[in-house]
Amino acid sequence: MVKDLVILKNITKAYQTGKVIYPVLNGIDLEVKEGDFLAIMGASGSGKSTLLNIIGLLDKPDSGEYFFDGQEVSKLNKKESAYIRNRKIGFVFQAFHLVPWATALENVLLPLLYKDEEITNEDKEKALELLKRLGLEKRINAKPSELSGGEQQRVAIARALINNPRLLLADEPTGNLDSQTTQEVMSIFKELNEKGLTVIIVTHDPEVAKFAKRIKLIKDGVFIKQ
Amino acid sequence: MIFSFYTLKEIAKELFSNKVNLFFMLLALIISLTALNTIYSLGASAKKQILDALANVQFGKDAMLIIAGGGRIIGLTTTRRDTLKLEDVEELERLDFVKLASPMSRETLEVSYKDVAEKMRVEGVFPNFTLANNWYPILGRFVNEKDLRIFAKVCVIGADIPQKFNVPASELIGKKIKINKEFFEIVGVLEPKASFGHYRRDERILLPFTTAQRRVFNKDYIDGVKLLFKEGTDIKFAENKIREILRKRHKLSGPDPDDFRLITPELAISIFTKTVKTINFFLLVIGVISLIISGVIIMNLMYANIEEKAPIIALRIALGATPQNILTHYLIMSLIIALISGIIGWILSMILMQIISLFTPLKPLFSWVTFLISFGFAAATSIIFSLLPAIRATKIEPSLLLKSL
Repeated sequence: MVKDLVILKNITKAYQTGKVIYPVLNGIDLEVKEGDFLAIMGASGSGKSTLLNIIGLLDKPDSGEYFFDGQEVSKLNKKESAYIRNRKIGFVFQAFHLVPWATALENVLLPLLYKDEEITNEDKEKALELLKRLGLEKRINAKPSELSGGEQQRVAIARALINNPRLLLADEPTGNLDSQTTQEVMSIFKELNEKGLTVIIVTHDPEVAKFAKRIKLIKDGVFIKQ
Repeated sequence: MIFSFYTLKEIAKELFSNKVNLFFMLLALIISLTALNTIYSLGASAKKQILDALANVQFGKDAMLIIAGGGRIIGLTTTRRDTLKLEDVEELERLDFVKLASPMSRETLEVSYKDVAEKMRVEGVFPNFTLANNWYPILGRFVNEKDLRIFAKVCVIGADIPQKFNVPASELIGKKIKINKEFFEIVGVLEPKASFGHYRRDERILLPFTTAQRRVFNKDYIDGVKLLFKEGTDIKFAENKIREILRKRHKLSGPDPDDFRLITPELAISIFTKTVKTINFFLLVIGVISLIISGVIIMNLMYANIEEKAPIIALRIALGATPQNILTHYLIMSLIIALISGIIGWILSMILMQIISLFTPLKPLFSWVTFLISFGFAAATSIIFSLLPAIRATKIEPSLLLKSL
């Protein structure tokens, strides 16, 4: 039987600005099994990014339960959630978020700095292998400013994969890319998923969502029935 | 976080990514460290200079100077100053801890050679002056016993005197100079000695004690005695004993102030270093203030840096950096700043001291202790003032920042 990797039960989240409270998530239930490829779609302000932040342990829900890889994680402290993010979750962001002064290779190695282990030659080999797999073998010493958008996003994907994550989270990963590069990047996600990696992406683009195995629509902080 | 080469490289790259910011952080610390190092070095150098000079004139730890007349060490005497006699010295010489006593008397008189005339310090001394002061003639001979016996009209001159008369030293031997209308034959020239401040040690003329007292000064009291003690003498004990003997001989009772001054090497050092100390104190205050100012500058620039790098800090947190990782990251960065400015500050202060030494007798001093202290100051300032910005960095919420970009 395929294991559940992510289980969300009645998750709520609201933001407060002054005295006004804005509810963002209003009771989200979600199950994502290992090997799944889920696209969460919704208009801007629908709460999809907040949901992704909670799944990625970048944010905490106000209420509800969250089990990740069999562990209740909604009440972990900063250090504990940092540990899980570092070892079990890979992130890909819309704006790539590469360190501008570091080379492609150094950017890929970045998560290893927080792993409490010395970076070994094998780690370096692995990073080079990932960059090669993503077609960047000639760009390993290039700085982000010397890379195209598609190349930058591929470096970010390599970085997300360096620690062999259980889950890959992508927030509008193609939002800053042209349509051809979008196809290329999404093919990479599809290929990774086919090799067994669980992927959750957030997008408002149906063309992108098509690459996923299933799609969930979010509106006003709840999933709507399709 | 394992402290690895990669971590250090990452921190250094971030630091050097904003060169203007880095420049001002370094500049602030470098200026205050240069000032502090230089101030310290000046003080240490001045003290060493004085100690060396004192040792050079046989004023080491086993010596004492008795000067006629009571009162403050520097300044006018407040008692009679004609009470110190040769007989006092004879009694002091009998003390078992006294190795040598060299009495002297002095006046400032007009001295002339050919058409040059000037007021100069003239002293009446004994042959043991050379031993007592570790000061020997470089040319000719010194005053001897025979000179004393026959009231010889001879003199030994200080190293700067030939220059005053515009004649090479060697040509002056055997020539006569006029002191108070009497002619004296120059028999020797003293070797040069270091001077303190305005006191020109090498501008003096030495006469046989008896000649000076009888033919020139016409007085029966002396102006001072240099005493050398046997090795291991307890200076405090010696001082008390000498004071007791002199007070008794001068018939001073209870409330009467001393009519002499006892100058020990310790006292001499404290007198000579007092001015230096006062100046140093103010400079130190300025130095510390500048250190605080540079700390505040570092703090502000560090805040600016963290503000600017907030998305990257958020990214690091997203990738698994703990608050402790972030804190360590910025404290190591502040240590790098301290290290760079410490080294540059030290080098600059050495250059500054080298320049100062061109105009003053103070020589640059290198000491590992001060070198490390200077690093300590740099590191402490940099870390203390970077702590608040670094703590703020750990509070950055990755979710909000990543979304905002």
